[in-house]
Amino acid sequence: MTRETRTTVRMEVLLFGPQAALAKVRALSIEVVPGETTCADALRELGEACEFLRDSLPASRLAVNHALVDADVVLRGDEALALIGMVGGG
Amino acid sequence: MSAGISVRLVEGPVNGDVVDAPRGAGAALVFEGRVRPNEGGRLLEALGYEAYSPMTERQLEQLAAAVLEEHGLIGLHVDHSVGRVPIGAMSFRLVVHSAHRKSGLAAMDAFIDRMKRDVALWKVPVYADVSASHGVGKGAAGGG
Repeated sequence: MTRETRTTVRMEVLLFGPQAALAKVRALSIEVVPGETTCADALRELGEACEFLRDSLPASRLAVNHALVDADVVLRGDEALALIGMVGGG
Repeated sequence: MSAGISVRLVEGPVNGDVVDAPRGAGAALVFEGRVRPNEGGRLLEALGYEAYSPMTERQLEQLAAAVLEEHGLIGLHVDHSVGRVPIGAMSFRLVVHSAHRKSGLAAMDAFIDRMKRDVALWKVPVYADVSASHGVGKGAAGGG
């Protein structure tokens, strides 16, 4: 019987504005399986990592390498990640 | 960036530099967003603005180009604060140059609505009655 091993890496997600204030940190670390974890999965991970963010996550998106991406985009494990939610310039 | 577009993130309050109207502009519209003195009944000392460079600048440039084209504008210039902006001070300035008033006014409204909805800019209130700021998010007292 073979047993599949999955490599995981930890990735840092930057937080800004009200979400940083809610979480009381500027970045959170989440566990990612390179080539498998999607941005939607990463957002769920953020909710697990910090319960205070959960209410704001449905209206948030991830920026991957400084660009907003769709929820089904798969992470490689070496990107720059940021949580983009509760924006409000002006 | 197009010749008729400029985007600047400014540390602290935005100043009121004059932007010369280009030839052909029948309307030169200026919107100044300023920090209101209170929010939800609480006195403010300032708003703290955050951006995520270079994504924020790129989003503002893309939005400016889209609105310029959609409304047939001649020019669109954006200054937005990052960092602390005290009450009464300017945190956002939008200058629109258009051939006619109506397209300029519509463009101004469209730009501000989309900026508030989509662009990676955040404001965190700094209340006058506490030393630490608390995140509130939408509804904070920016003038835009």
